[in-house]
Amino acid sequence: MSKKRQKRALKNAIPFMLPSFLGMIVFSFLPIIISIAISFTNWNGLDKLSYKTLASNFVFLDNYKQILGTSEFWKVLGHTCYYIVLYIPMVLIMSLLIASILNKNMKGITVFRIMYYIPVLTSWVAASLIWKWVLSPQYGILNQLLGYIGISGPGWLTDKVWAMPAIVLASVWKDMGFYGLFLLSGLKAIDTGYYEAAIVDGAGKMKQFFSITLPLLSPSMFFCIIMALINAFQLFPQVQIMTEGGPNGATQVMVERIYTYGFKYFKMGYASAYSWLLFVIIFILTLIQMKLQNKWVHYES
Amino acid sequence: MRKKLMSLLLTGVLATSLLTGCGSTDDNTAEGTAATTESKQETVDLANTEVSEETAEITYANFNASGGNEETLQKMYDAFHEEYPNITVNIETIGYDDYFTQMQTRVAGGTAPDCYELNIENFAAYANKGVLAELTGIDTSGYNTTALNAFSVDGKQYGVPGNFSNVVLIYNKDLFDKAGIAYPTDDWTWDDAMEACEKISALGDDIYGIYQPITFNEFFKVAAQYGGGVLNEDKTEFTINSEENLKAATMMISKVTETNVQPTEAQMGGMGDWDLFESGRLGMIPTGIWAFNTFADACDFNWDICVEPGGTQKATHFFSNALVVNADSDKKEAAATWINWLASSDTAAQMRIDAGWDLPAINNEDVLSGYLKLTPPENRQAVFDSLNYLTVAPIIEDYSLMSDIITNKLSLAASGEITVKEALDQAQEECTAQIKLQ
Amino acid sequence: MNHSKWNVKLKIIWNYFLACLIAIIVMIPFLWMLSTSLKSKGALMQIPIEWIPQNPTLDSYRMVFSRFPFLRAILNSFFITCSYTVVTILSASMAAFAFTKIQFPYGDTVFKLYLASMMIPTQVTMIPLFVIMNNLGLINTYPSVILPSLFRAFAVFMLVQQMRGIPNDYIEAAELDGAGLFRIYRTVVLPLSGSAIATLTITTFMESWNDYLWPLLMLNDKNRMTLTLALNSLNGQYGTEYNILMAGSLLSMIPIVVIYALAQKYFKEGLMAGGVKG
Repeated sequence: MSKKRQKRALKNAIPFMLPSFLGMIVFSFLPIIISIAISFTNWNGLDKLSYKTLASNFVFLDNYKQILGTSEFWKVLGHTCYYIVLYIPMVLIMSLLIASILNKNMKGITVFRIMYYIPVLTSWVAASLIWKWVLSPQYGILNQLLGYIGISGPGWLTDKVWAMPAIVLASVWKDMGFYGLFLLSGLKAIDTGYYEAAIVDGAGKMKQFFSITLPLLSPSMFFCIIMALINAFQLFPQVQIMTEGGPNGATQVMVERIYTYGFKYFKMGYASAYSWLLFVIIFILTLIQMKLQNKWVHYES
Repeated sequence: MRKKLMSLLLTGVLATSLLTGCGSTDDNTAEGTAATTESKQETVDLANTEVSEETAEITYANFNASGGNEETLQKMYDAFHEEYPNITVNIETIGYDDYFTQMQTRVAGGTAPDCYELNIENFAAYANKGVLAELTGIDTSGYNTTALNAFSVDGKQYGVPGNFSNVVLIYNKDLFDKAGIAYPTDDWTWDDAMEACEKISALGDDIYGIYQPITFNEFFKVAAQYGGGVLNEDKTEFTINSEENLKAATMMISKVTETNVQPTEAQMGGMGDWDLFESGRLGMIPTGIWAFNTFADACDFNWDICVEPGGTQKATHFFSNALVVNADSDKKEAAATWINWLASSDTAAQMRIDAGWDLPAINNEDVLSGYLKLTPPENRQAVFDSLNYLTVAPIIEDYSLMSDIITNKLSLAASGEITVKEALDQAQEECTAQIKLQ
Repeated sequence: MNHSKWNVKLKIIWNYFLACLIAIIVMIPFLWMLSTSLKSKGALMQIPIEWIPQNPTLDSYRMVFSRFPFLRAILNSFFITCSYTVVTILSASMAAFAFTKIQFPYGDTVFKLYLASMMIPTQVTMIPLFVIMNNLGLINTYPSVILPSLFRAFAVFMLVQQMRGIPNDYIEAAELDGAGLFRIYRTVVLPLSGSAIATLTITTFMESWNDYLWPLLMLNDKNRMTLTLALNSLNGQYGTEYNILMAGSLLSMIPIVVIYALAQKYFKEGLMAGGVKG
């Protein structure tokens, strides 16, 4: 591209970018910069936040060294990864299933479409209350159902091994409608002409799915994976309400720790350093995804 | 590349200017990190400002009125305003769950309300970090002394007790009748209680004798009942794994792991302890007097209360929220006048009792006697009898951290993964390593 | 012939079976909320769960209306949520258009910055943002809760993924017709992103409607209180009145469900817009 064209493109882009860019600087970038500064201090999160406070509490890399030196960080990172490994495939499969059901031309599909979105609309407070009941070892529906097929269910939220899968179940239930809806909008945007052409060519359902649906849905899938990854690393409200990190710390995850250090133990510097470590991890993973997307994500243009 | 650098620089400059801009509006807090700062501006002296001509408008934030007592608080304020027409109070009632997150943000952001409420865990941190004004010259003669002393740090009063709740033993009379045993009395020890527990548990598979949470909160109290404590006298050392504490923790945990007269976490199955009691499957529950209203509504069996059993001696819990004044406020006198009135005036106390809200932390027996007339429970006197054995929480700056470490170790022991002794030893080690005591 | 007809029928039945099965799973908590909201205080938590309340009562709903200025709170919520949603959609779709259809220098870098901004948990940026708002003098004003919608990386990312799928031929064709960038944005790109924008609208509306912590920090004045803030005052230190909370939550879900139902039309239109161009 020539310099001149670049300049023109920039000029063209500015009016479109301006509102969002200004918003980013003020409401996102500045707070983030300040939080880096905080991560180099042992500010307690109560003294008035000012340049002076931060300067007088400057400890440079101490927080980072401390965090990386504890076994807790690695343990918590492990819990988070455990969650992600279970959550992402499950939520993707369930949302694909939902999207494909909702994409069928059945009578009354609108009603289903509204119903499937209800978990997304429900607050975590209500959702986790009911999930506590569903997962209750003795009286819960889940263990009763498992009992019918001869499996004696685990203690779920009260069991060290099963607490995290239990949280995954609840999260998949809550989120699948959201991703499902987004995938549906991706499905709807697929030009029906492709399918008509494929049918003329005599392609079967399977072939249609793999050669048309999946490639054309890949940008939406990419979005879902990245968002699910970012959100999974920041898993928090459901843990806070359902287990508070227990039993015995088995569901302690990154943001739960960050909140606890920042707002319960008054170690905001430490909490900020924690979130910057979290940032580095997510960022690297996202960059890898971005690189990989050339291999499988198909953009029409 | 150059552009990127420029934009980074620019934002850096912007960020600093925003922060310093905030700092310059008020200088005295930036240095006031230590609780010992003896700046004149940070203390409230009501003695010589009793009659202030100026009108003042202050903000008061609280969580105690959320969930049903907002109207009562409003009525109290109306009465106050009649008495002090020159002080206007904007009341903010905020739900408990996120109250402290928002309060911390507002304090750090320099826009905290003039006066506000804190629970005991957060009080310690706020007071030690110098964001509260010392209250001097207020008339504290009307307060219950134990409650008042809970909010004094190094001899300085940083808050007044806004309300008061203690813990009693609530028991299901019908289950005691069924098991054919006598009701608990005020002089029971834990041995007596255990005997009753086993008989009640024997009534059925899903009936349990007692539920006492395995948490730090219970632990420091039971420790006191056996003559122990988590800190030494002058709060310079942890004494978590002492002989007395071991006895206390063993009593708490063997109920679950050995005799199983108390349900395990799995047996609870996500049910709350109150739910268990309300469903009529629990013999005894040591819990706060704030349960009375709920139990009166929810229980279709007879129940009553008595003073909690003891170990080698009696010790009972109390809970109190601190009403504090913001060190940064420029209307400290008005703020202190309001919270002192709210916490200790007879008018406010009477309204608090009449509404069945909770107890005022005062020592005026005439006002308190109104509380006795409400039933159930029959034996309300036990609420006051329990006051003779109050034990104060071991308040230190890192209270929440200490509390989490100990609770975590105790629950490990309750799940049978480590022994009680190991739990206390590990808690001692971790607390010593992670918490600096003065 | 008959055989394949049966096949089609069986397939329809199977589809409905699957759809209903998922529907039951997703609806359980909703039904539980409904049943709880109809219970009196005492009957709240029982084992086994009492699905149909023995003595159903509308007391909880009455309490919701009497406890706080419900109408005022709803109006505030509506005002804030609608403004927030409109600003989000406009700002995000414009940015997404620039990212995908104008190849401007450093666009990729800026886009990566956008993505990166989502990776820092709000727990640590909350106090700094609060201080910034304070310095801008925005605390206790509606803009303090509406303006952050100018930048929502999530929304931009979502629309970018959608707009990348719009063939550049359409843009070039419009350019040949002499259309300016704004007209292309308005008449070509926006309509073709219909279904994604519908999804985004409902998501944004919901998020803003349910947003709680930020409005709590920003709006201290009772007259500016939103519905979520009002509902939050139901949780007390010693427990929560779940029946009233559930009644309030259900009432507060109604507007979102209505908006969602209305948006359904646009899902269909999205389909048509895509189909026509084949």
